[in-house]
Amino acid sequence: MSDTAAPRRVIPIVEVVEDSLYEVRRKVYPRAVTGTFANWRWALVWFTQILYYGLCWMPWNGRQAVLFHLVERKFYIFGLVLWPQDVFFLAVLLIISAFSLFLFTAVAGRLWCGYACPQTVYTEIFLWVEKFFQGDRAQRMRRDTARWTAENATRRFAKYFTWAAISLWTGFTFVGYFSPMSELVDSVLTWHVGPWELFWILFYGGSTYMGAGVMREQVCKYMCPYARFQSVMFDADTLVITYDTERGEARGGRKKGLVTRDIAHATGMGDCVDCSICVQVCPTGIDIRNGLQYECIGCGACIDACDQVMEKMEYPKGLIRYSTQNALAKHWQLNDIVKHVIRPRILIYSALLVSVSLAFIWGLASKPELRVDVSRDRASLAREVEGGLVENVYRLHVMNVSETTRRYAISVSGLAGIDLLGERIIEVPATSAQSTTLRVRAPVDGKHGAQVIYFDVKSLAEERIKVHEKASFIQP
Amino acid sequence: MRDILIRDISVVLWPAFLVGGIAEGLFFTVINPQELYLFGHPVTYSPLATYSIGFFAFWALCAASSWLTSYLLRSAEDVNRKPSVGDDETKAK
Repeated sequence: MSDTAAPRRVIPIVEVVEDSLYEVRRKVYPRAVTGTFANWRWALVWFTQILYYGLCWMPWNGRQAVLFHLVERKFYIFGLVLWPQDVFFLAVLLIISAFSLFLFTAVAGRLWCGYACPQTVYTEIFLWVEKFFQGDRAQRMRRDTARWTAENATRRFAKYFTWAAISLWTGFTFVGYFSPMSELVDSVLTWHVGPWELFWILFYGGSTYMGAGVMREQVCKYMCPYARFQSVMFDADTLVITYDTERGEARGGRKKGLVTRDIAHATGMGDCVDCSICVQVCPTGIDIRNGLQYECIGCGACIDACDQVMEKMEYPKGLIRYSTQNALAKHWQLNDIVKHVIRPRILIYSALLVSVSLAFIWGLASKPELRVDVSRDRASLAREVEGGLVENVYRLHVMNVSETTRRYAISVSGLAGIDLLGERIIEVPATSAQSTTLRVRAPVDGKHGAQVIYFDVKSLAEERIKVHEKASFIQP
Repeated sequence: MRDILIRDISVVLWPAFLVGGIAEGLFFTVINPQELYLFGHPVTYSPLATYSIGFFAFWALCAASSWLTSYLLRSAEDVNRKPSVGDDETKAK
């Protein structure tokens, strides 16, 4: 040990003051906004909701076009019928959706969040209702703190009532995708809705009401896993909503007409007039001028708002705009941004997406139209019968996956003198399954134990639709 | 204490809901609810009831796991400060 003492470090003991895990939520009163991105969002609201509310009413081949029939355990998606055996296709479909999300997030940020996510879409609808009854931001803020008057109460009640009606209809539609709409409508009209159907209508309706009416931006900020991991897909060439700090700062108010843009610049002022409208329109209540934040859902409301202000000031638009971090730092023009779309990350995501999609299409194209499950009836043992024959009993489960009723011929082979008793022709309606019990007899051949035999099931109308299925025949 | 309670409710129930939904989907894709046995007897509930009960069972199980995680994550401060039975809660704070 050396005798020169090391400088003593004093570690200050700080009293731990426990803060609440959650910040106190300031209620966000988004101000209504118009403009290019608002129009896009409304277009997407209409598109997704016509699809959602409408698709469950669409007929197809005498049934509901899109139905995830839980009781029958079959998913109908137009001409495609998925059985539990086809879960692979659903899994691949999920993978395709995930890769698409990765790809366009890497290219242009949170397009999904800003325009198509149900949370955004229903919040947009609910906000419209709110504005209709209670006015825009300033009026709503005033009314929220004002004394209760008959008018205030009526407006509030009308809003809640409309929200509840939309939510109920949304819940009803949701259940209509899992339980046939025709039966559901009948049960509602006759007041005989099943308890679980009713429960799920209220559950989904209630979630819609809570999500779009009460929780709003908190869902995106605290509950959505995608919002948390989005940064994994971002890089410096990803299009995001950005505030041009160099152009905007130093921000400050000014009188239009008194101070021209040149004078403002000469006195060290930037283009941002600090009107705070970009903050007022933000559905998550952030200030985009502080830079990219995980709370930003990429809705573009601040772009629309700022462009309007710039127009009034007769300044060039785009102080807040879609741009990339690189473009801002290196003063790129649009064609530079476009050139940088092609980069390894994008190529890898695209290659994965294309190959999984091709595999999916190939899988669908080669999906069999007939499936057969053979099981030996375990209840009846292999037994010797008259004429020196051994009998085994089998159950054949014949699944007709196609959209037409088909008749199939059943035959058995694999042992000398093997034959079957009972019905050799089976008719299976479209997209359903039929079971049949078959007794198979073969001569006693002295070998004991299991022997391999084959069942052949062939469509009578179309030769190519056939199944060759293995089974075992027991000699006692 | 109220803070911890609210934290538990939201941090426990919400992830459990998400994972419970996935578990439900996986389980019932593979297993037909009409082929289940409950205490040795075939399940006689309607399929929709079975699916629903199944979902809540998965949700509850996932919530139990989430709750245990959040319980073990509690800081020493939280554990030491926890008032024992009979303590005046306001005094402890």
